[in-house]
Amino acid sequence: MTAPDTRSRTSLPLQVDQGSPAHRTLQVLGLAALAGLAILGSRTNSFQVGLLTQALIYATAIAGLNLVTGYTGMLSIGHSAFFGIGAYTTGILVSERNWNPLTTFAVSLVICFVFGLIVGLPALRIRGINLALVTLALAVAFPELVDRFPGLTGGSLGLNVNLFQLLPPHWTGIGIQNRFEYYYWIAAVVLALVLVLCANLTRGRTGLAMRATRDRETAATAVGVNLAWIKVFTFGISAAVTGVAGSVFAMYLGSLSADSSFTLTLSITLITGLVIGGVATVVGPIIGGLAVIYIPHWTESLRQGQTEGLFFGSILIILMFVMPDGLMGLLKRLARRVVQIKPRAPEKPSTAGAFLVDLGATADAELEGKGDTTLALS
Amino acid sequence: MQLFLEYLFNGISNGAIYAAIALALVMVFRGTGTINFAQGEMALFTTYIAWGLTTKNVPVILCLLIATAAGFVLGAVTERVLIRPIERKSLLATLIVLLGLFLVLNSLDGILWGNQNYTMPSLFPNAVSSFITLGGARLYWANLGLWIVLAVLVGAMFQLFNHTRLGLHMRATASNRESASLSGIPVGRILMLGWGFSAAIGAVAGVLLTPLAPDSLGVGEMFPILIQASAAALFGGLDSPGGAVIAGLLMGVAEALLSGYVSVIGGQLQEAIAFVAIVVVLLVRPQGLFGSKEVERV
Repeated sequence: MTAPDTRSRTSLPLQVDQGSPAHRTLQVLGLAALAGLAILGSRTNSFQVGLLTQALIYATAIAGLNLVTGYTGMLSIGHSAFFGIGAYTTGILVSERNWNPLTTFAVSLVICFVFGLIVGLPALRIRGINLALVTLALAVAFPELVDRFPGLTGGSLGLNVNLFQLLPPHWTGIGIQNRFEYYYWIAAVVLALVLVLCANLTRGRTGLAMRATRDRETAATAVGVNLAWIKVFTFGISAAVTGVAGSVFAMYLGSLSADSSFTLTLSITLITGLVIGGVATVVGPIIGGLAVIYIPHWTESLRQGQTEGLFFGSILIILMFVMPDGLMGLLKRLARRVVQIKPRAPEKPSTAGAFLVDLGATADAELEGKGDTTLALS
Repeated sequence: MQLFLEYLFNGISNGAIYAAIALALVMVFRGTGTINFAQGEMALFTTYIAWGLTTKNVPVILCLLIATAAGFVLGAVTERVLIRPIERKSLLATLIVLLGLFLVLNSLDGILWGNQNYTMPSLFPNAVSSFITLGGARLYWANLGLWIVLAVLVGAMFQLFNHTRLGLHMRATASNRESASLSGIPVGRILMLGWGFSAAIGAVAGVLLTPLAPDSLGVGEMFPILIQASAAALFGGLDSPGGAVIAGLLMGVAEALLSGYVSVIGGQLQEAIAFVAIVVVLLVRPQGLFGSKEVERV
């Protein structure tokens, strides 16, 4: 809710036109920096690679949650269940049916999309609070249901996938002892694809409709947003993305146990990551994923036990008060002091379209232009 | 018959707890328009306080009163410090803050009192032999006491809502905050009181419930109850205190009878059933049994 102030800073901010060669260069540099960081990450020791892989997986799941909670404003506490459904889909198909793990991702995508649609259905008749309750109950019910069908899921004993079914294929040249590097790259590629998908989805017409739905439902309907479609569709896509993250997680971990991995705690962790990284930003989930993996890692060395919960809980509360747009919001504000991207004037918008643009831009401070800046600079 | 009555007694005890927590949820919802995710954890935190005092040989009745007062303060302070500044921003921000509070309180329980489970002494005679026999079934004094105390508490709340000036102010605030404020009602103070009362009800429920079974005071005790109570509150209608109480009792009894007689449901599927109940209620009748329909002015 900070009022963005684009003009009245010092003389420093360079003005760059959106779409100009300078802007494009910045974007390419930003992407190159991200790719460089990814390569750097894969060169660390195997323990670090493992942690980073988890961070990438969580970042993917958070990116999924971001679509529903960040852009469309529907709090979902049930994404641990979608993550779990994706993980079990991969686990079961690989261990029981001998599938190639990578092909199971597509199945996870479809199954989780359908589950997302079903859970999103109550959102049609009800709003905020009630949807939060439905998803809360889903998060609690999922581990129970897994335990209830031990024939399929291994029940409370867990599901173990034979390591040899998860090894990197020969053409990668990665041996069994370096297999975590393979998982790391799979997680990185999946995350990259997901972020491209999210960026495209949220910048276009659908993204505007999502943000309009979040900011003022009634007005959004008035300008022709199909609320029912947007809500259910977003829920489906979001669940599918988080489900694929679960699939990568199953591949990385090789053994699944719903009682420990896919509980309400996971949902809260994802929400915490989203808030830390910054809601309704494209790159925020990466920061969030790194934060929720590395912070517990550090606090554990300070003191065992519930410190992590206390820390995350306090962070959630404090951030909502002092930095509701998360670290990404902070970075954007800092970046804006150095470089400003001037958005292109829209070409002859229709009246309804212009209104919708205004509506979407109210709380989100012209993400259209600024999103590019931050992508290029982070 | 004897078995049926024993299921029924258990169901009423659980139902009374669901009803109390559901009533607390409804009081917060009417005032602030949000579900207090931390309601169960607030109750648990104050129950731990009461338990801590009983280990120092403080009489149980005094522990109950202190815990209730602590609950009141906890609720009122939460409203004033955490909720009031944030609720203007958005519902999403409020819900996330409450989720954070849930996490903080739960972790504090573990840090302050450890992760093992404790047995809480009861306000009422709680020996193996302290029961009366009704139709062949045993009704323990602790259960009976819980029914009576919660019935009196709920009755007092309804007296407060419907027959006092404070209650009138609370109802006015719930129905339209701006108009209430314009007619001179101190809305801020009323909201604080509402949160205080609701957390105090939770404290009473927690202190009475915990002694019913040995080793039941633990960091995970209240969460399943919160789920059931939210389902009850939703079922009764989120803005209807009477609906919450009736639905809470119904859910407790139905759950006890179902898990007693239908073997498929037993034990660990209860939360899944609450989930299904929530979804069905929301799809079929979003305003619940006794709630009022949400009307929005454009």
